[in-house]
Amino acid sequence: MTELVSIPGHWDFDYTYFAGEAASRFFAELRNTRVMGATCPDCRRVLVPARSFCDACFQRTTDWVEVGPEGTLETFTIITAAFPGLPEPPIVMAYVTLDGADTALVNLVLGLDLSDIGAAAAGLQRQPRVRVQYGPEPQGRITDFAFVLA
Amino acid sequence: MTRPAIYVEGAALEISFADGRRNLQELIFDTVRAAVDDSGQPMHEIDSVVLAAHDLVDGRSLSSMVTSPAAGAYLRDEIRYGDDGAGALAAAVTRLEAGHARRSIVAAWGRSSEHSPDQFSRSLFEPFRSRPLGLDEFVLSAMRAQLCLSAGDGAGPARERASLRRIDSARANPRALRGGGFRSAPHFPLDDADLPLWADVTAAVVLSTEPSPIRVAGVGQSSEPYNFGDRDLRTITSLKTAAGRAAADAGFGADTADVAEVDGLTLIDEALGLEAIGFAAPGTGLRTLAGDGRANPSGGGASGYSPPSMGLVRVVESVLQLRGTAGSVQQRSVRRAVATGGSVVAGQTQTVVLLEAV
Ligand SMILES: [Zn+2]
Repeated sequence: MTELVSIPGHWDFDYTYFAGEAASRFFAELRNTRVMGATCPDCRRVLVPARSFCDACFQRTTDWVEVGPEGTLETFTIITAAFPGLPEPPIVMAYVTLDGADTALVNLVLGLDLSDIGAAAAGLQRQPRVRVQYGPEPQGRITDFAFVLA
Repeated sequence: MTRPAIYVEGAALEISFADGRRNLQELIFDTVRAAVDDSGQPMHEIDSVVLAAHDLVDGRSLSSMVTSPAAGAYLRDEIRYGDDGAGALAAAVTRLEAGHARRSIVAAWGRSSEHSPDQFSRSLFEPFRSRPLGLDEFVLSAMRAQLCLSAGDGAGPARERASLRRIDSARANPRALRGGGFRSAPHFPLDDADLPLWADVTAAVVLSTEPSPIRVAGVGQSSEPYNFGDRDLRTITSLKTAAGRAAADAGFGADTADVAEVDGLTLIDEALGLEAIGFAAPGTGLRTLAGDGRANPSGGGASGYSPPSMGLVRVVESVLQLRGTAGSVQQRSVRRAVATGGSVVAGQTQTVVLLEAV
């Protein structure tokens, strides 16, 4: 019988992603421990993270405003599987609308007692107030901050 | 059965390189916003979006999910065509003709400064018979050029003049890349000047079923076998067939066009493209490029290049020629124009668009 051929494949592509002026400024402000939003002149929403245009109105944004540092946890998930580059599980990932913002921001929630996942989840279901907490040395990246219970 | 006529209401393109002030979405937004502004239509009058984009070019998987809002797709009917931008335009035309939409944005982009065109090119080949050999698109263009040049089609002076004219046109074209960009290493018998100038390219048009001065008179598409060994590389049969279909659709052919904007990866691919659509007689493509200002007045691939946007760039350049707003590369009394867009491998799939001033 003919030996059936299969060959291994692996793709490895190089990219350089340009963040652009607006995102670069957003990240620079994180180093100053400020979370910024940008206002759409048409719908008046404060979009967070700040960006250069509102895709709903297809219009350029105008004024930048600082939001937070406190906000409301809208929803969350608890990740129990390990993934390269992420902290050791369990990890809480949440959707938080900071005060003054009209859109939510996703990031980790730290400092929770996760020894009993069910109990932790019950607490988060009450949509608690949280605040932004920065790491010791902000690098101007989305990983510079996490949320903690306010 | 009568189909509604389709018009180009707005058009825009931008060719830049490594502009760190803008991310990919912002590049797209700027061009699509410019095309919408050019159309004079408010966003709520636009009900559909067709995109040409490629994940491996964008470096974002299912890239239209990241980028489509930047092309005006928010809460609109959106589809992505994972192939050349002229093909996306053809898809948008059929949707408008079918009554599925009234007015559509078509947008295409490729950002060479973010990815490696050579890595991308190698990934296009099938993994058993082609990829292990390290084939890239230029290998096929070079073999095609070898056939063409050894047959004496404009070898020597015509090739040199075609190359110089292409560079002059690119210099004159106000939309061509100014500074930056890069070229791949040429394979024999190609040289640097034959190759495309890799750039960051975004193009967009607004198509409508409501009358305006530029009509999409005809569209044709065709695809050849992937197996390039099965093909006659000297004749781009898919392009020839697509041109025939577009002509049948329009009631006039590319040979009657006042301007031809033909997409090709290299100078020789552009020359053979002119022959395939009938704008140049067989064997005279390079001489036409050398001496006829109406053949690729934009400067073709020398003005800046990135798949999968080039067919739509050719459409936008044609629209500007028809409007008389092409700037210093404007040709005289342009009433009809032909634009083509091809895609891998070796121009396997081709779209021909015939446009007319009405
Ligand atoms: Zn808005």
